[in-house]
Amino acid sequence: MRLSRQAQARALIPTASMADIAFLLIIFFMVTTVHELDRTSVNLPVAKIREEAEKGAAIVVLAKEELGGTASLVYKFSDGNEVSQVVSGPDDINLEASRATYVDPEKQFILKADGTVHYEKIDELLDAMRRGGVQRVLLLTAQRVEERSP
Amino acid sequence: MRLFKKAQEAEIPTASMADIAFLLIIFFMVTAVFSATKGLDFALPKQESNPPNVESEEAVFIKVAPDGSLTVDCKPMELTGILDYLEPKLTRDAEKPVILYTDAYAPYQAMISVYDVLGRAETERGFKVRNISVPTQTEVAEYIDIFGYNPFESQCEG
Repeated sequence: MRLSRQAQARALIPTASMADIAFLLIIFFMVTTVHELDRTSVNLPVAKIREEAEKGAAIVVLAKEELGGTASLVYKFSDGNEVSQVVSGPDDINLEASRATYVDPEKQFILKADGTVHYEKIDELLDAMRRGGVQRVLLLTAQRVEERSP
Repeated sequence: MRLFKKAQEAEIPTASMADIAFLLIIFFMVTAVFSATKGLDFALPKQESNPPNVESEEAVFIKVAPDGSLTVDCKPMELTGILDYLEPKLTRDAEKPVILYTDAYAPYQAMISVYDVLGRAETERGFKVRNISVPTQTEVAEYIDIFGYNPFESQCEG
């Protein structure tokens, strides 16, 4: 008797759930993504105590930039609604702060500054903001990681 | 002769669905950033024509030197010793001002570290440092105009 050959099972990778996984990931990223007003990379000072900034707070950035072996300071400002723009220095910050506090005197300002800059630069900025009517400042910090004792 | 026409099945083409989905995933992965919006709350004083004059002997004076080292009431001190020093003083007088004077050439991190320690007094020791005064260089210049010297620099002299 001649037996008919059994049909060979086809090798197949099941991809039916691929779209589910993909859409799950899309929803995750859509929910968690935030539109950052300032993406300047800054070596923030570290601290243990940290408070959350208010939504819509203005951002003042003081970053160190290495260009051809020489470090220079870059100032940026965002009023909390638009992406931060480069400004020339504390005088411009003072002007922008005056504009922002004219609209909202209680507006919070976030100071995002490099932890290695000399304090006099921070002082200039704080003074420029104070003259611009700013009362509430949040000194942006990174989380201090506890060192484990051996 | 009778012809059989095969009925076509209604179908939504979904072959490109996965391509679109993965394109969107890659877009969100590339644009996603970890938001860093936490820091230390800092109240700037209002601009006043006559700022209150705090007598130095009534306040605790913390000075941050250019190398980041500290002196508290003219005594060299480590960061960890500040709260031990402040606890008896602020328990007696909760409103006692603490003047935090940072040298112009000290790193910003050194000032933040001291400010962080002062902010932790309540959670770690049960007392609050309510009155922190951070004199700006403009205020220092005003003092120099009035007195002819920098009272914060000459605090520990003699």
